[in-house]
Amino acid sequence: MDVNKQPILELKNISKNFRSIQALQHVDFDLVEGEVHALVGENGAGKSTLMRILAGIYTEYEGSYYLDGKEIQFHSPHDALEHGIGMIHQELSVIPELSVAENLFLGRQPVTRWGIIDWRSMEQVAQKELHSLGFDIDVTMPLERFSLGTQQVIEVFRAILSGARVLVMDEPTSALSPAEVKQLIELVKTLKSQGRSIIYISHFLEEVVQVADRTTVLRNGVSVGTLDSQEATVDRLIGLMLGREITRSTHPEEIGSEYQETLLEIKDLNADVFSDINLNVKRGEILGLYGPIGAGHFDLARALFGLYKFDSGSIILDGKTFPHGHSARYAIENGLAYATESRRKSLLLDDAIYRNITMPHLSKIGTLAPQRAKELAAAVPAIQQVNVNPPDPLNPVGKLSGGNQQKVAIARWLTFPPKVFIMSEPTRGMDVGAKSEVLGLLRKFRDEGYGVIVASSEPETILAVCDRIVVMSRGRIVSRLENKNLDKDALMRLI
Amino acid sequence: MNSTKTTVASLVEKLRALPKSSVWARRFAALAPLWTLAALFLFFGLASEGFLRPINLRNILTQVSTLAIFATGMTFVLLLGQIDLGIAAVAALSAMLGAHMFTKMGIPEPWPILSGIGVATLLGLISGVASARFRIPTFMTTLAMQLIAGGLVTYISKGRVITEVSDVAAFLGSGKIGGNDGLPVIVIVAIVMLLLGHVILRYTRFGRYVYMTGANKAAARLAGVNTNRVLIIVMTICGFTAGFAGIISMGRLHSAQPDATESFLIDTIGAVVLGGTSLAGGRGSMLQTVVGLLIYGTLRNGLDNIPTIDIYLKEFITGVVLLIALLINTVFAGREQRDQTI
Repeated sequence: MDVNKQPILELKNISKNFRSIQALQHVDFDLVEGEVHALVGENGAGKSTLMRILAGIYTEYEGSYYLDGKEIQFHSPHDALEHGIGMIHQELSVIPELSVAENLFLGRQPVTRWGIIDWRSMEQVAQKELHSLGFDIDVTMPLERFSLGTQQVIEVFRAILSGARVLVMDEPTSALSPAEVKQLIELVKTLKSQGRSIIYISHFLEEVVQVADRTTVLRNGVSVGTLDSQEATVDRLIGLMLGREITRSTHPEEIGSEYQETLLEIKDLNADVFSDINLNVKRGEILGLYGPIGAGHFDLARALFGLYKFDSGSIILDGKTFPHGHSARYAIENGLAYATESRRKSLLLDDAIYRNITMPHLSKIGTLAPQRAKELAAAVPAIQQVNVNPPDPLNPVGKLSGGNQQKVAIARWLTFPPKVFIMSEPTRGMDVGAKSEVLGLLRKFRDEGYGVIVASSEPETILAVCDRIVVMSRGRIVSRLENKNLDKDALMRLI
Repeated sequence: MNSTKTTVASLVEKLRALPKSSVWARRFAALAPLWTLAALFLFFGLASEGFLRPINLRNILTQVSTLAIFATGMTFVLLLGQIDLGIAAVAALSAMLGAHMFTKMGIPEPWPILSGIGVATLLGLISGVASARFRIPTFMTTLAMQLIAGGLVTYISKGRVITEVSDVAAFLGSGKIGGNDGLPVIVIVAIVMLLLGHVILRYTRFGRYVYMTGANKAAARLAGVNTNRVLIIVMTICGFTAGFAGIISMGRLHSAQPDATESFLIDTIGAVVLGGTSLAGGRGSMLQTVVGLLIYGTLRNGLDNIPTIDIYLKEFITGVVLLIALLINTVFAGREQRDQTI
């Protein structure tokens, strides 16, 4: 990067409060042309706030915002886009039912002189643009036919086509499979070589190190440093993010499991998205189901819990064979617990923590009428056990950070302990600190003699906690491994 | 124009920016429908001499009682994020069937009333099963039910009014306890229904399941709740209350009329939503429905009590006041319901 270049975008001395919380304090940030500038930090460090100011979503803040050397004040995201700042959201804002071409031109479809949408030229332009960046796909097909990775790419293109010179990418890879991540990183590099400037926000520090020219680290709303690509290593970034030197514990601890009894047995399980699944989980072990998104491991987890229909095969838990087509209630009552990959789907965000914890157990807490006092008595020990912060049981779950929400989703199953705990993507979207806490909880369950199944597409998570790993690809088990001397590469090569 | 806009915006911003510690301010905001009710009461009390007289207050209660019975069931349905468009027609069917059995077929009570309510409950059950098992939106199943029930009413009545009703129905609809100035039975029935609904929603496991399913169906299923069963039961409850309201309405009017309950569909949804229950499900309560009902009743009755208002303008004014009340509700109470798409 040429340090003598004038920044095209510059934030000076930015501060922002929400009621009594100081989200950003005197933060400086700048971006030069043709640069990828990454922004990292733990959840709640102020990344999202800064990004929202950049993209014109927050219009009230202290400090100044310069674009091309001139001070500017955006009134809306639309306003920012008009000035060439395009935002790519963490959650896709494309419309899956519409065609690729239409998505690219959303809101500004070209029209003929009769005022009718000019499909021909729209599709031609779309095809040409995608081709120029190395993507050859049928733009007349509905977007939902394509993978999540392609959808993400389309989202990026859309911002570019609407004239964005600066792209703000918020966790662009959090939902992508490793292959798709590679594709996206290549795209970012291509865009950079074309002279576009990119602000890249991500939890995945390895990506950041790969792709960023400079990386700014935020901690508690303060910018604690900007590193050049030579200086930025994962360890240094983590150190800055956490404000302390970290001791690495990415290698799983060796365990001599004292239990060897099989707890859960799955025989010849078949469904539309997976087939011939044979597995067992022993008491006191963590079994990893690893595979890319779409490998069928998440659906397998749901099938065990009675939320996904399977065609044949049997599930035997602690000697008891589940009836075919069992309900989630049956699964719960017989000792299965399940926490899904989406906290938004599993929690009532407006409801108090304790009510989220007692949700599956109301029938045990009060047959006809659950009582608040009894519910609290049941929930509070669980809250303490997983160390929810702040621990106030009356707080709405939506006010907690992502990691603490996940702890609530786990704590829910501790009141009436299950035999086997199934978790999909237990650490998705979490910062380093929360991640290690949640993984620590899983280890604790193992050591207390539960069986644990972790389904994930993140090799780091699988490698960090699992004793045995089952690798799935396209609905089949392709490999079974002991987690000894394994590394990420080895795992990813098996898919 | 622009300056008023900014003033309003900054006022709203100030209200939203109230510190978390100011519990009172938040309580004040959360009770927005109650303040609307108080404001209406104050206004009509000052504007009309007769409004605050006990006999008129009793009138208000009597006037909203039928609506209250409809609203009890509808509260369950809206809390679940569903809708029932069939209630008015189902109520008419319940009344017409009851009246026909009693008058034309000479079947003694309680069978006619029980049959009317029973058929209404059954229709609710059918809507619920169709929606739950086949994933048809309740909007569609209950729209069909509206036609089915309405069609049966036409078939049974041949479009004619039955002007004879049983003593039981008449007692429920227009009887009074404690002489002519006593408490109308219809009010007691409405209170009992609302109370029953409140207890179920607030204090039972099933009530919690209704809230859970309405707020987040996926989360409810993950917690092992049979959300299909919850939907079926709720639609059945709504069918039951509609049938019951039909009988009550018949007793009040001393006749079964094919179109007597027509306006109740919109009024019911209006009253429940006015109380602050969300159409999207998960938010609201029976107590809020009570407030909504009282706002509705006060408004209707109050306008009748001000003789200077042009009678032909009343509907228009009702509409305007409703819109304002809804705006107040969302600005104050719906602070969390801001658009969070970005």
